[in-house]
Amino acid sequence: MIIYIIISIMFLIGIYGMMVKKNIIKIIIGMNIIGYAVNLFFVVLGYRNEGIQPILVPGIDIKEFVEKAVNPLPQALVLTSIVIDLSTICFLAALSIRIYEKYGTFDLEKIRRLKG
Amino acid sequence: MNLIIFPVILYLFSAFFIALALKENEKLSGIACFSFSILSFISVILIGKYLILNERIIYFVGGWKIPIGITLMVDNLSFIFLFILNLLLPLICWFSFSYMEKYLKAGYFYILFSLISAGLNGILISMDFFNIYVFLEISSIASYILVSFGLRIEELEASLKYTILGVIGSAFILIGIGLILGKTGTLNIADFTFIAKNIEKKQLWFILGLFIAGFGFKCALFPFHFWLPDAHSLAPSPVSAILSGIFIKITGFYLLIRIVSNIFIMFPESKVILIGLGLVSMIYGAIMAIEQNDIKRIYAYSSISQMGYCVLSLGIGGYWGYLGAILHFIFHSLSKSLLFLNSGIIEYKYGTTKIEKLNNLVEEMPYISTTGFIGMLSLAGVPPFGCFWSKIIIIIGAIMSHYYGISFICVIVSIITLGYFLKLQRNIFYSKSEGVKTGENNEFNLNLLMPVIILSIFIFLSGIIFSPYYKIWIDKAVKNIESFSYESLMEK
Repeated sequence: MIIYIIISIMFLIGIYGMMVKKNIIKIIIGMNIIGYAVNLFFVVLGYRNEGIQPILVPGIDIKEFVEKAVNPLPQALVLTSIVIDLSTICFLAALSIRIYEKYGTFDLEKIRRLKG
Repeated sequence: MNLIIFPVILYLFSAFFIALALKENEKLSGIACFSFSILSFISVILIGKYLILNERIIYFVGGWKIPIGITLMVDNLSFIFLFILNLLLPLICWFSFSYMEKYLKAGYFYILFSLISAGLNGILISMDFFNIYVFLEISSIASYILVSFGLRIEELEASLKYTILGVIGSAFILIGIGLILGKTGTLNIADFTFIAKNIEKKQLWFILGLFIAGFGFKCALFPFHFWLPDAHSLAPSPVSAILSGIFIKITGFYLLIRIVSNIFIMFPESKVILIGLGLVSMIYGAIMAIEQNDIKRIYAYSSISQMGYCVLSLGIGGYWGYLGAILHFIFHSLSKSLLFLNSGIIEYKYGTTKIEKLNNLVEEMPYISTTGFIGMLSLAGVPPFGCFWSKIIIIIGAIMSHYYGISFICVIVSIITLGYFLKLQRNIFYSKSEGVKTGENNEFNLNLLMPVIILSIFIFLSGIIFSPYYKIWIDKAVKNIESFSYESLMEK
């Protein structure tokens, strides 16, 4: 149970970072934290205390295997999700470099030109 | 029947082919992208031919049956979206040949264009929550990059805003998918609806809420709208046409239809939320559009307003409500793409879309002013054109479901829409004031003109010969929304 509370606290910290902070780098870090929280959530879904790896080798009892093996699906999903996070964050980092070249600052207050 | 994977595979192949072989040569990469989009359109026509006799096409990836493997499905509802998407993409690609000339590295544009198209096609064919999420992210990341393609200062800022909010929306959707996985142990939509019958309702409310919030972000409904005007008005015009014409509808509206009326059937109450959100964004978009001073910003706010109409009609429900939602989606896609491409031609020739810098264009560009007039009249709901029929059907639907106040508000917002479009039309095309600079570049560019003319002919004809040709498809799609449940696929 405690792990889910930690995950929701992480998620809220990430949302706080993205919504409240004015520095682009801090916003990207907040986004990273949200990504970690969601990925951790997926990993925890598949976790099983004293589980075994989900590979069916000869000589193992099917019933025991079903009871003990961890769920491999969330792990496969987390890999995909990490790649998606990675590409988004790479893009945002490149974008912030471009913005720094044009404005000379990472502060959102100083570069805000658009309204609405 | 493995025809349905072709739209996705062709565009993915096009992306990697251009990236590996052609990206330095802008002309050739454009032609390659265009020919792949034509092939994809042909495959969609073949899918339609197959759907005349069959109710749906199902494809099991790798031969794994429903609870285990990834399942792909096209039914009549997704076919309507597939058809409109694959009709618009070749036209927009054609338009970009000339428009993208002034940008550096236009070869990269076609790579991203192919990726966004592959993602949108993939959302329409897949029947698996995580698969939908992956395709959603493919198209979203491509669209984040495309918004900042011109590297102007404002574009970078708009793209930053759009990316941050898009990531939050995606995080909501992903958490919802995680909760589904934790609760039911499956990601297949058919299997989920089968299991969800036996789960207590109050445990599913939170998931539905997360999904409505997430797809509301993508669909730019009222509280989540504020990225849309910047992103859609500052992107290059072909990109605005994709984003506003089709992207927000598939990533937001199509998935909302699926979630509300096919997957979470046990919550009829959720439609009240959709009516509220749709009504507010309809009024808000129309009011904000009045005071804008940029053509593309007016169109962007108008998109918020018209998406409000679609979602409102989905919330009203019943035969007429669903019919109005589907029809309004079709006509709004065609008209809004036409208008954004139109403003792209103006931007191409004069280098600006600010209203006060443009004047009396009717003498220099008679074709453009005519097509723009058709698009604006259609969106404002003037009789012979497309959106008139969809709006009047939405109003009929509201009256049939005893929402008299809502039908009144629909009429009022439609009149406001007509007002701001007429003001725009008069200011740009017909007002004559001296001393405003007009462009010298007055050539007759067929690459820019033809897609716009084809689109406006579509809008004109679809309004006049209204029912006989496509009524049967729309009726099938409406029946699909009303009575289809993924559960029925479980017996096979």
